[in-house]
Amino acid sequence: MPGIEDCLSAAMRIAGARGAGLLDWGSGLALGTAGDSPADDHEATAAEATDLIRLAAESLSFAEPSDPRLPLQDLILTTERSYHLFRLIGTVFDSRLLLHLWLDREDANLAGARMRLQALAEELVLG
Amino acid sequence: MSAAAPRRRQPPGPAVEQLADLQATGALHTETGTLYLDHGAVVHADSPHSLDLGSLLTRCGRVTPDYWQHTLDQFAEHCLVGRMLVAQGALTRGELEVCHLATLYDAGYFALGAFSLATRFEPGVRHWLGPVSGVDPRLLRREAVRRRDLLERIWPWPQVDTAPVRHTVTTDQDGTAARGLSPSPRRRELLGLADGRRTPVELARLLGRSTYATIVEVRRLAAAGLIATPPDAPTHPIPADAMARRVPGATLRRGRAPDPPPHPAPTEPDIALLIRVRTALEARL
Repeated sequence: MPGIEDCLSAAMRIAGARGAGLLDWGSGLALGTAGDSPADDHEATAAEATDLIRLAAESLSFAEPSDPRLPLQDLILTTERSYHLFRLIGTVFDSRLLLHLWLDREDANLAGARMRLQALAEELVLG
Repeated sequence: MSAAAPRRRQPPGPAVEQLADLQATGALHTETGTLYLDHGAVVHADSPHSLDLGSLLTRCGRVTPDYWQHTLDQFAEHCLVGRMLVAQGALTRGELEVCHLATLYDAGYFALGAFSLATRFEPGVRHWLGPVSGVDPRLLRREAVRRRDLLERIWPWPQVDTAPVRHTVTTDQDGTAARGLSPSPRRRELLGLADGRRTPVELARLLGRSTYATIVEVRRLAAAGLIATPPDAPTHPIPADAMARRVPGATLRRGRAPDPPPHPAPTEPDIALLIRVRTALEARL
């Protein structure tokens, strides 16, 4: 049964992974991080990632209003060199968790990474 | 451990760091909560102002209150509650770790914000939850500062954290969309309970949500004008020298507490205490 560290280690084994974090987008807290941060500062990345997700998750246009526990499933952000995957995690207890995975575009397979991150998010809370 | 003085006069932040340097094991009680240390790492925290692990798990129905009580009765004495919740299949390890850290950081925020310099260390005491994971006290303190700063950026009138929450829009719509805030179900639920009597701490408890996340939401709603900001607001959101005071140990006036905030006598003890928590966080972190 994976804990936070196992989950992040597994995320870092995804092809092209450069950094990963389990974040709480209600408070901006990084519950755990692995690898590098694109800003060289995991706490800053956590704060910025949670701002981004909150905007989308609370928007009229992009959020799914019928499911307050999981208003978004994931968000993909692309730059010239990187992909950032943000996968929200639905829990029974009240939480606003997400997994952030930073990928190098040269080495990453976006579709494969997205499926794997979804599986890791589910394993973390479902066991 | 036995060398640690049972009572000390030191702000909770420096006190817990000093205990960490001594690799201490035990409970540090502050006016507003308790931090549990195991060989210098903070392994749990609780505070009367934040939702505890049991409430977080039972309010949403993740575990039944009977099951929770039964587990406490059987395993609290041996500090095995966390381990047994997972071993018996009531929670996954990931769920336990996530809930544990969420409640630890929430309670740590309040415990570190104690106004009183009187802290009491009980060597050797362990929390009934047992080992789950530990946090460096310096990280916990930095997180408390970050949380305080985040609130200041949203709406720098901290009295909304402690005052009864009153929804200012009383028409059939809750008014969120008109004010640039999306009417998310979470927000509607909170506004629906904002009856002008319940404080954010009480709302968080009622909803089974993190107290800190509820306070963040209340400040956002206050910034949008959807929740009343009490008029007896101090006009200075943060003292000009607050940044300097945030440097650990900088300009701390030991033995003398800062002047109380210019508030009228609060009518509820809980409010009085939380105002002091906030003031102390501003002054000490």
